[in-house]
Amino acid sequence: MREHLVIIGGGMAGVKLAKTLSEQEQHLYDITLISEEANVGYNRIMLSPLLADEISESDMALVDLSAMQQSNVNILAGTQVTKVKLDSSQLTLSNRQILSFDKLVFATGSRSRMPESSEQLHENLIGFRDLNDVAKMANLPDNSSIVVVGGGLLGLEAAVGLVKRGHRVTVVHRSSHLLNRQLDTQAAALLQAELEAQGVHFILLDGLKELIDEGTNRIKRISLNSGRELDTDCVVMTAGIVPEVSVAKDAGLEVNKAIVVNEWLETSCQNVFALGECTEYRKQTFGLVAPIWDQVDVLVARLVGSHKNYRGPFQVKPTPVKLKVSGINLFSVGNLDEFEGGQSFVFKDPSARHYRRLVVKDGKLVGAILFGNVADGGWYFQLIQNNTDITPFSDRLLFGETYCQAS
Amino acid sequence: MGVAKRPNVFGVTEGHWASLRFRRGSIPVRNTTYKTTCPYCGVGCGVEVTQNDDHTSFSSVKGDKDHPANFGRLCVKGSSLAATLGREGRLLEPTIYGAKATWDEALTLIADKIRTTIENEGPGGLGFYLSGQMLTEDYYVANKLAKGFLGTANVDTNSRLCMASAVVAQKRAFGSDTVPCSYDDIDHAECIIMVGWNAAWTHPIVYQRIAAAKQRRPELKVIVIDPRKTATCDLADLHLAIKPGSDAHVFNYLLWQTERADKLDRDYINAHVNGVESALEAARISSSQCQTLLATGLSQAQLDQLVATWLSCEKTLTFYSQGVNQSSSGVDKGNAIINCHLVTGRIGKEGAGPFSITGQPNAMGGREVGGLANQLAAHMDFATPGAIETVQRFWQAPAMATENGLKAVDMFQAVEAGQIKVLWIMATNPLVSLPDSHQVRRALKKCELVIVSDCYAGTDTATLADVLLPATTWSEKDGTVTNSERCISRQRGILPPPGEVRHDWWAICEVAKRLGFQKAFSYEHPHEIFVEHAALSAFENNGQRDFNIGMMSQLTRQEYDQLSPIQWPVTQDQPYGTKRMFVDGKFFTPDQKARCLPILPKIPFISTSSDFPFVLNTGRVRDQWHTMTRTGRAPILNQHTDRPYVAISPADANALKIQEGQLLRLKSPVGQACLPAKITADQTPGNLFVPIHWNDQNTNHSVVSRLIPQVVDALSGQPESKHASVAIEPQKVAYYGTVLSGDSLRTDLFDHWCRVGSEGGERYEVALFDTVSLSSLCLQLVGVNGRGTGEWLEYTNPINGDQRFAYYEAGELRLVAYFSTTPDLNSKNWVMERIGQSIQEPLARMGVLAGSPVDVVDKGDVICSCFQTGSVSIQDAIEAGCDSVEALGEALSCGTNCGSCIPELKRFLTSVEAV
Repeated sequence: MREHLVIIGGGMAGVKLAKTLSEQEQHLYDITLISEEANVGYNRIMLSPLLADEISESDMALVDLSAMQQSNVNILAGTQVTKVKLDSSQLTLSNRQILSFDKLVFATGSRSRMPESSEQLHENLIGFRDLNDVAKMANLPDNSSIVVVGGGLLGLEAAVGLVKRGHRVTVVHRSSHLLNRQLDTQAAALLQAELEAQGVHFILLDGLKELIDEGTNRIKRISLNSGRELDTDCVVMTAGIVPEVSVAKDAGLEVNKAIVVNEWLETSCQNVFALGECTEYRKQTFGLVAPIWDQVDVLVARLVGSHKNYRGPFQVKPTPVKLKVSGINLFSVGNLDEFEGGQSFVFKDPSARHYRRLVVKDGKLVGAILFGNVADGGWYFQLIQNNTDITPFSDRLLFGETYCQAS
Repeated sequence: MGVAKRPNVFGVTEGHWASLRFRRGSIPVRNTTYKTTCPYCGVGCGVEVTQNDDHTSFSSVKGDKDHPANFGRLCVKGSSLAATLGREGRLLEPTIYGAKATWDEALTLIADKIRTTIENEGPGGLGFYLSGQMLTEDYYVANKLAKGFLGTANVDTNSRLCMASAVVAQKRAFGSDTVPCSYDDIDHAECIIMVGWNAAWTHPIVYQRIAAAKQRRPELKVIVIDPRKTATCDLADLHLAIKPGSDAHVFNYLLWQTERADKLDRDYINAHVNGVESALEAARISSSQCQTLLATGLSQAQLDQLVATWLSCEKTLTFYSQGVNQSSSGVDKGNAIINCHLVTGRIGKEGAGPFSITGQPNAMGGREVGGLANQLAAHMDFATPGAIETVQRFWQAPAMATENGLKAVDMFQAVEAGQIKVLWIMATNPLVSLPDSHQVRRALKKCELVIVSDCYAGTDTATLADVLLPATTWSEKDGTVTNSERCISRQRGILPPPGEVRHDWWAICEVAKRLGFQKAFSYEHPHEIFVEHAALSAFENNGQRDFNIGMMSQLTRQEYDQLSPIQWPVTQDQPYGTKRMFVDGKFFTPDQKARCLPILPKIPFISTSSDFPFVLNTGRVRDQWHTMTRTGRAPILNQHTDRPYVAISPADANALKIQEGQLLRLKSPVGQACLPAKITADQTPGNLFVPIHWNDQNTNHSVVSRLIPQVVDALSGQPESKHASVAIEPQKVAYYGTVLSGDSLRTDLFDHWCRVGSEGGERYEVALFDTVSLSSLCLQLVGVNGRGTGEWLEYTNPINGDQRFAYYEAGELRLVAYFSTTPDLNSKNWVMERIGQSIQEPLARMGVLAGSPVDVVDKGDVICSCFQTGSVSIQDAIEAGCDSVEALGEALSCGTNCGSCIPELKRFLTSVEAV
């Protein structure tokens, strides 16, 4: 008798879990995958190139859905879970249907953080999380004036995509420099110059204060903390993401910023697991794909019961970041905190827009920022992952793999 | 000298002398190829130069196959002569107190000042400080003017620093300043002893000749006596690393042991030598076995080997040079050597004799004209009976000097004391070369009129001149020089002097004319001067003076211009010149007997103390000459030793925790210097060595003369530059740096700096004693040229504190600066090659900061300057199987031209084998 495994969330994490389990351990579970979005399991990472019109929607597919369905995966698309009863192992769908489960996985992802004050819906206030958001942006009239709130990875990718679509874009960013979680001021300055050259405008050290709609459902302009006001045709919110935890919280799971999980992705309730952007492990939440793929591997092992022999429970590892903007080479990896305290090897070639910073702690590479030429990024990432002692070649480290191997 | 029917050393056949005599070596050989001589060391090599079409430069400089000094070989200094030419840095017009002036203004000012000085102070208020770089003709007129027409013998020369002790020793022993030997003796000797002479570096071509003899005849014994293990020791069967200054003990011991072994040549002594008994007595009492062992620090076995070799080799040739001469008892040391040769009759014979090697190209020529304060003219002294009258008659001189003038050190002291009011310095840089340069500086500042004749504007000494006179340099100068084996050669004027540049003899004569001596100084060509000089040498000579080139007073202008090298004397009896002196056992003393001198060895004047515990020795490096005003301009010559250093033994370095390349502060009672350490087992503990070449123009705090007190030999006046006492302490350094630039940079931003002229730009080895912002320092560096609009690349390494900067202008690399908290010993030559190049690719732009190249093979330090072979290539070749110098030469060409790197190649072979 196969157990019924229900996965809430048809995003990348949920789909990847369903696919792996259905391919490898068909005999263990009947799987139901519930997706709020009508489009299931597309590659969310490719939203930026899609927005920039560099790929088409057909390039977005992550898995073969029909193959999955043939392997005991029941996909319910365009459906929301409204309630989960943990004591009776049942959940209710938006169409009032009730499903029983033996095991439950929350893979509910996250949403764009929206302005707190805006309870009402503005038709020209857009996040940047799904195909729907991209579709809205794609339909904006030519030469629109757009404000992107938040100069993180998503914000910058959105801004460049919109510029490429012929719009006038201003990015409003709270910090003194762009990508302040991934870059230092030097690299950020180079990036900003590069993006400005592509046509993006920036307002730094300022934040969204108020959306001004003059009583309509359209935002006319916005005001900033500095008091400055900007006329706008559209506001794109990319100032962070909020883990989607409402159902889990309602069900009584332990939720902090997100659903609290242990190293085997178990929640506070037996047989209930969580995966992806909706999880919180050791006070950390996740927004990049690499640790989530790790989580999928760990959870698969846990669900098939082979986890005792598995290579190890989930742990947080450094994840390299790349900005998916064509023409911009940027690589960043490591804990940002390290950039403050560690020893930094720095190379600057501002006019060639080439910059490198490597952070070394106790003879190990712990962080790296590369801008302009990122060819050695993978090698540095390897050194970090392998905990390689770099002291024998520390003097050549910054100059890349070729130099270090030549020595 | 009967050399019938076969070519003599000059390549001419006796029977054809009349027709060929002055034809070989005639100029031009082809339309654009000329024979001349090298202006560097006392070997006096002949060179053949080929002029470029522009007639202002040379396309090639090669050894002259016909010249008896080198037979076509040339060391790297000589081979690089073309690279030292060019207008850059030349003094092109006279200046008076820094302002441009005409020759007439300058000469009139000089003449007026000389006249009033004589009126007010007497002729003693004048001083001439000349140079072994001057040609015989320049020297002759300077000496003539001073001693015959102005009435002062205050004419001295930088040769005082070089071989003055040897001169006095020879005069004491032979009654004349005669070098008995020829280079030819090398090919006949059974034993060659080299005392205080790093021939491999200082006289490479003679050294190569000795090396070739040794290779041809492995039984040839070679003994090196030198406190340092130098490159010359490579050839030695025996190296005696004596305690500094103990040379006389060694030769006294040798003298005594010769007597004990009953090897004195009694017949020769009876016929030709006086004073043997007292010399032996002095040797016995001063240099007993025990005394010699203690004084020299040698082992009995070493002494035994020396004695055994000496006794068994009739044909022994003893070379001695600065290590003997630059001493407070240099004359005695010379005589201790000569004594040994006299008592064994090993003089005036093929393959035997005491051979003083001079340092400069024309030190001998200067001596021949009498261009030293204790000489009169033409190997006559003031004390020679009748000499003053003889010379007066010959010159028709109105104001003969009647007694010795002031020797170099005394002369500068007299200048400081205010006795000498006018000082004319020609072709030398005393602010770098004389001991205690602080005293020299004080003297020049005190002097009422300092005249400096030089070919370069920016020498240390020129900066203190009141009047600067632009002089011709090698390739423009026209006249004769005499090398260490008495060989007179033409140094030819080939290139036209640029600007207002004039010959020194012309400037001297013009002053003389303005003083009313038109008749005696109306020469129009050096030929006229030379034949007068030749005539004086024969004037009332009657065989009493060794220096006689009377035959040459008949030379026509054309014959003079086409003169082949010839060894003096050149007389009716010896019309082809004279290869060897004292063949007949007759000397130039009144009784024609040589004199042995009783020598009581003296220790160096300055001893070490607890305050100054180290002995400081000084000398030359392989590829530089004197104060680098010329050799410093040839990038190729800056590679072998690119910067000054203090050599220190590993034991001392260990004890003081000194790292290779670390800056050390040297203090002596008279001054200070700051130099990077070079740790080498070639130094014995307690002994340091610093090269003499570097000066305030190419580095700071590195002039070694500042550490040397003005201690001189009482007889010769030669300073004891080989022996000072110093203290050393590590200099606190925040950053060591290497800066490579396409342009000359300001140096005042650095606490310590050394500029290394390189192909394509300049390299600066620098140090900053205190922590500063290096990035703003770099900005200031490029700001000096009114530039600074380019792009900066930066690299910082938090672990070792390295900071590096590269500066590009319009994509072209202009400057790279590497800073480190410890001395960076890696070669940066590969970066120099990129200065001035356009580098666009980001990784390549970054690569210049990597500190080492990734895509080119770093060949390491240049060992063979001729073929630019680096240490890394040599090591690789040895590892690949090259097991001999010949094999390396075959593989890399290194060592196959001038050969001066062969000792170092051998060291590589030994050290790699040892690994």
